[in-house]
Amino acid sequence: MKFLIAFGVIALMVGGFLFVKGPSPAIIIAPEHIFDIGPLVVTNTMFTSWCVVAILCTVAVIAGSSMSVVPHGFSGAVEAVVSGFYGIIVGVAGEANGRRFFWVIATIFFYVLASNYFGLLPMNNVFGRVEVGHGDKQVIFKEATIAGMKVAYIPINPEECEGAACPSYRAPVDGRGAAPAKAGETTMAAAKPAEHAEPIQYSGLISPAFRSVNTDVNAPLAIAIFSFIFVEYWGLTALGPSYLKKFFNFGALMRGKPMGIIDVFVGLLEFVSELSRMVSFTFRLFGNIFAGEVLLMMMSFLVPFVLVDIFFGLELFVGLVQAFVFAMLTLVFAQTAVSHHGGDDHGEAHGEGHH
Amino acid sequence: MTLKPFVRSAAALVLGLVLSAAPSVASAAEESGGIASLGFNVPGLIAQLVNFTILLVVLRLALYKPLLKVLDERKRRIQEGVDRAAEAASAASASEAESRRILDEARAEGQQAIGRAQDAAARLREELEARARADAEGIVDRARAEVALERDQAIEALRREFAGLAVSAAEKVIEQSLDRQAHQRLIDQVLADGQLGQRG
Repeated sequence: MKFLIAFGVIALMVGGFLFVKGPSPAIIIAPEHIFDIGPLVVTNTMFTSWCVVAILCTVAVIAGSSMSVVPHGFSGAVEAVVSGFYGIIVGVAGEANGRRFFWVIATIFFYVLASNYFGLLPMNNVFGRVEVGHGDKQVIFKEATIAGMKVAYIPINPEECEGAACPSYRAPVDGRGAAPAKAGETTMAAAKPAEHAEPIQYSGLISPAFRSVNTDVNAPLAIAIFSFIFVEYWGLTALGPSYLKKFFNFGALMRGKPMGIIDVFVGLLEFVSELSRMVSFTFRLFGNIFAGEVLLMMMSFLVPFVLVDIFFGLELFVGLVQAFVFAMLTLVFAQTAVSHHGGDDHGEAHGEGHH
Repeated sequence: MTLKPFVRSAAALVLGLVLSAAPSVASAAEESGGIASLGFNVPGLIAQLVNFTILLVVLRLALYKPLLKVLDERKRRIQEGVDRAAEAASAASASEAESRRILDEARAEGQQAIGRAQDAAARLREELEARARADAEGIVDRARAEVALERDQAIEALRREFAGLAVSAAEKVIEQSLDRQAHQRLIDQVLADGQLGQRG
């Protein structure tokens, strides 16, 4: 029995590697455009984030409306998760501050977590809108359609495909790709038809309708901005104008001590580090999730079965850790901002150690 | 949420937006190949900001508020329950002591009552015994007196009978001669001399 299982696993891996090759994935950093709402260009990450927000809001409304002192059913489960996280926050920041910070920190955590996990669902990066003239380094593309849904442009070797043998070659009818202008970029596809007098071939890709939210640098940046705003807001409301003294410390210099220039310089550094947190927040999350997506795409291209599951497990872990790190760093920064600062701020030093 | 913190946070939001967006936009404008090639764009950022704002507001109103309320309520009730249990335990121990005290009192009282009853019973028995003894003695005395009286009467009757008999016997012996009164006198004398009634 064990032998059979082992054999089946190996057969799946080898067979997948040899025979079930999908299209080679195109690594595109920027989120792809899928449709328009009026003047707004909707990208796939934007669309996916709407889905995530809709799911979270639905869960929140359903669970929140049936919340009761005796926990039961769905709302009991949601309550257990959220109150568990609340316990962590209160454990770190104390009862009074924890209550103030909780709603923002928890929203960051659950939004990032839900986005990351939603990005691991199988419909991501699979089907979507045809985007002609976008992919650049591929050769010639055939469009694959499953159940009326366009799933991929499959690159094919131009040598294998001669004239009428390739009926699925087609010129893009969509004008959006600005085909003539980009034709130069689609090197081989453009070069080929010149010899054979075939219809002009274009490179093309599918812009997937769903793509993990945090592979779009705007999403982590937006959360980082909120994190920054709330940390400053809490600092200001807790300490009043004296909070700003951390950044603009002219006190010693005004009293005529020349060494006060050091305080001014330290304040400047504080200010820069405060702003640079946003950048580190953004690229920590973006980098991890984008790298994870690339890893998953490449692994499912190379070894479509079994082996890729290990990497899905890894990405589950990364998704949780990144969400937790984002939330906890915000919490630590907030805690540092509201506490009276005698010495210098160690928050950033802790933060950079994480990832 | 009162109005004032809301206004303040809105102001902070605008400030943060300007602060954070300004350098990025500037750098994006300078070198469009740099950060823009990573996918940064202002409409996308604004969309994500709006997204997150919606999420913050909805989660806070729909989930966190009722959740915290429920948590507080549960904490309060548990505290109440614990307090009440402690109260009940102390009340129970107090009432146990009270009932034990009452029981002890009752037992002592019972013992006293039993003792009193036993004393009374003993007294009563002695009294009754004494009375019974007195009664019995009275009865015996009366009976003795009656017996004595009857004996005297019997003796008297016997004496009279015997006198008659003696007279008739003497008449028979002597046949006559002596008058009756003389005889009687004689007999009485004999009897008196004979001391018949004195013995016995």
